[in-house]
Amino acid sequence: MFLREIRFHGRGGQGAVTAAQILADAVFREGKYSQAFPFFGAERRGAPVMAFARIDDRPIRVRSHVYEPDYVVVLDPTLLEVVKVTEGMREGGILIVNTERNPEDIACETCSKVATVDATTIALDILGVPITNTAILGAFAKATGEVKIETVLDSIRRMSPAKPEENARAAERAYSETKVLEV
Amino acid sequence: MKEGLRELPPLPAILDPGNSTRNKTGGWGAFKPNIDKNKCVYCLLCWIYCPDAAISRLEEENKVEVNYEYCKGCGICSQVCPVKAIEMVRR
Repeated sequence: MFLREIRFHGRGGQGAVTAAQILADAVFREGKYSQAFPFFGAERRGAPVMAFARIDDRPIRVRSHVYEPDYVVVLDPTLLEVVKVTEGMREGGILIVNTERNPEDIACETCSKVATVDATTIALDILGVPITNTAILGAFAKATGEVKIETVLDSIRRMSPAKPEENARAAERAYSETKVLEV
Repeated sequence: MKEGLRELPPLPAILDPGNSTRNKTGGWGAFKPNIDKNKCVYCLLCWIYCPDAAISRLEEENKVEVNYEYCKGCGICSQVCPVKAIEMVRR
């Protein structure tokens, strides 16, 4: 497989940056190459933010922002109205959204798959706070098949700044609740 | 001709007054306040505490109301309300 690029859209405080880092860690421990880094802008709690990750079987030389993502992960449903999350997305890409809605209701012309999961409810149930990053990683593992869920759970336990077990449980539950639609 | 550096106004520049009001921040939070007007005693603590000035006074009724275009759902109003008239609900 060649280079896959991932863009995370979140709100400040939801953990988009941490999500990218945990994903890169999981991919790396499965023996692939990976990188993760945030978009530096006017980030503050609640403001729309971005983070990026890359996955490859070979060393990754590219260091730029991700402009043409294969996978787009949206951590907050309200972002769909504010940000054009599918911008630059490659043909056949996969869109993963935290929303109560079904994948049929999310518009994406270039996608091969759309996946949705109600990560906010999962996070509130298990963590007690609307921090949706670990839950959405469960959905990512399910929708893309890029990493095994077990590796993701391991990385979450190792890297969560707080509540590692709860975060792993959130990801596990999201993995089982994610709805995937092949377009 | 493409617009170059010379055509841009000198920075730092606030191009027109009051432009921060165009930045609608109402979608930021996971929760929003819901005011029970029957319980509200018009003490205006929420109005004072709101960091975004998103609470306005309804002077005829002696009640308050939330402007959801700017409310970020921080929940301070709900914390300071002495009669528990403000409940935070999922957006």
